Amino acid sequence: MLSAAAAAAFVIPRLRCATRPRLRRPSARTYWPRPLSSSSNHVTPAAAAGAGPGELEPPDLTRLANAARITLSPQESQDFEPKIRQVVDWFGQLQAVDLESIVPSLRAGTTADSSLREDKPETFDNRDAIVEAIPSYDDSYIKVPRVLNKE
Amino acid sequence: MPPPLQAHRLLISHRRLPTPARRRFTAVPSLQSAPATTLAPGPATSSILSIRESLLSGERTAADITSEYLSRLRRTEPSLRSFIHVADAAAEREAEELDRRIASGEKDAVGPLAGVPVGVKDNLCTANMPSTGGSRILDGYRPAYDATVVRRLREAGAIVVGKTNLDEFGMGSTTEGSAFQVTTNPWDNSRVPGGSSGGSASAVSARQCIVSLGSDTGGSVRQPASFCGVVGLKPTYGRVSRFGLMAYASSLDVVGCFGSSVFDTATILSVVAGHDKMDSTSSSQVVPDYASELVSLDLLESKPLAGVRIGIIQETLGEGVANGVISSIKGAASHLEQLGSLVEEVSLPSFSLGLPAYYILASSEASSNLSRYDGIRYGRQVSADDLNELYGESRANGLGHEVKMRILMGTYALSAGYYDAYYKRAQQVRTLVKESFKDALERYDILISPAAPSAAYKIGEKTNDPLAMYAGDIMTVNVNLAGLPALVVPCGFVEGGPAGLPVGLQMIGSPFCEGNLLRVGHIFEQTLQNLSFVPPLLAES
Repeated sequence: MLSAAAAAAFVIPRLRCATRPRLRRPSARTYWPRPLSSSSNHVTPAAAAGAGPGELEPPDLTRLANAARITLSPQESQDFEPKIRQVVDWFGQLQAVDLESIVPSLRAGTTADSSLREDKPETFDNRDAIVEAIPSYDDSYIKVPRVLNKE
Repeated sequence: MPPPLQAHRLLISHRRLPTPARRRFTAVPSLQSAPATTLAPGPATSSILSIRESLLSGERTAADITSEYLSRLRRTEPSLRSFIHVADAAAEREAEELDRRIASGEKDAVGPLAGVPVGVKDNLCTANMPSTGGSRILDGYRPAYDATVVRRLREAGAIVVGKTNLDEFGMGSTTEGSAFQVTTNPWDNSRVPGGSSGGSASAVSARQCIVSLGSDTGGSVRQPASFCGVVGLKPTYGRVSRFGLMAYASSLDVVGCFGSSVFDTATILSVVAGHDKMDSTSSSQVVPDYASELVSLDLLESKPLAGVRIGIIQETLGEGVANGVISSIKGAASHLEQLGSLVEEVSLPSFSLGLPAYYILASSEASSNLSRYDGIRYGRQVSADDLNELYGESRANGLGHEVKMRILMGTYALSAGYYDAYYKRAQQVRTLVKESFKDALERYDILISPAAPSAAYKIGEKTNDPLAMYAGDIMTVNVNLAGLPALVVPCGFVEGGPAGLPVGLQMIGSPFCEGNLLRVGHIFEQTLQNLSFVPPLLAES
């Protein structure tokens, strides 16, 4: 009764840019320093605030597949391209939000008390199972084909 | 039945780090008042306790109980397909061993989960069983160790009956993303059980096991709990060790649990929670005995939630949410009011931004975490002439469609020049989401919402439209961004299937306040009248 209708009616909520969203301005926090790599980023968040998601270059699937070490068949590339582009466009709505002076959160921050254990090596008691899982093992080496350097 | 509480006000304070003075949450048990007429006896509180009693009294043996569950499992599996691997022989052996230890009068033979059949999601490592993560790339892989949570289950006497089905590496909301099989919903086998922990939810719903473990990165325990009509708990990030959980997004993943009652869910949480030196993100906060804090129904006075402030998240009841779901949640809210609480609507700014931020962060972290699946040290290998080709082909052959998509999207979001535009901005949105929850939880003890915008939909309905599937996670992802605990309790039905489709109520609390959620959830569940969440397929067998 409801599923098809709900699926049709449900639109991914998009940020309405008419009014600036209420922002938290935490006190006594320093502005997050820009990483050096941002100098190569020709689109700053401030500039992007006025721009739409299309300002950033669309995903180059060949380059990405190579970086991720996944061989894509031509059929797969054709299939993935529009879907990835669609999702990345959707990601782009974050460009329009004013996030100036909001400190990025690396993690949830629920475990301020996270601890490190003592740096003392212990012998693992089931080395055999590890070795058994290796597809190409030649005691005591893991065999791999040659590495071709593409310069 | 849990031991009766003394007749005094039970103050349940919750700790928050760094602490401004917080409202104390009070549940009021009272021995002298007779149960009010509105508090008629509810459903059976605990299967775990019944098993415990029958083992201690000698009325039943563990072998007998295990055999009963395994036989139901085998009977329902052809239709449900909840399990990728069923460990019947091992389970029967463990049950016999437990019986031997009980018979010989061994002192600690009957642990907190003694003789309890449990299911474990297949992205948790189990040393004596295949662990595939739902992926072909780990087809046949047997880990060299047990995940910490699995080890703790076993130490408590639980019998692991098998590994449950999931969307590959936890990526998906329907369990259709499994490389092996599609699990069906026990309420209607043409519908999905939800995901990614669909097998774990379906197994508990169909009573193939009593409790199960799942994982929740963006709602993967809570949404299937809602779809299958069972209790699902997502603990605070850091409450439960992730050692042995195949990582999807390390800053968002948690191990969660399912049960057919709040009491059973509380019991399994106490067993698996706690600090682990093998997981540096695990918290050393003390683990309470959650089940012992659940008040028995006949000890409650008529307004057991007096003084509790509950906020319904406004943004979760609007456009795009099915009418049946909205009315179930509003019904639950009014039930909570009848129990004495104050229920108000509350708005969470930045709520809708959480969804794209989540997918950026999760895909980015996944692209890094899944780089270990390269065919070299474990899993399937496709041979090739050079190393890069071996990586490319092994991963192409072993990884599924959705996983590849997310790795590619994550690679894009993290690439040089795009980090500021995507990943960093998503992290900034994460800060906004955390702060808005924190504000709301200063004014309310608990926030409530649906766990999904609809009840279970048909298999195949969302497979070709990624955004449509992602949209369904809107109710759950913000909780993962903020690391908060959340409990889903079945609260109503919508039309569909042979006997209706269940809807779950999501309750969200402050960090490490699982106890509060379980206390409220237990009272809610025990006072819910005329609603049984046992799926029709069980009535037939």
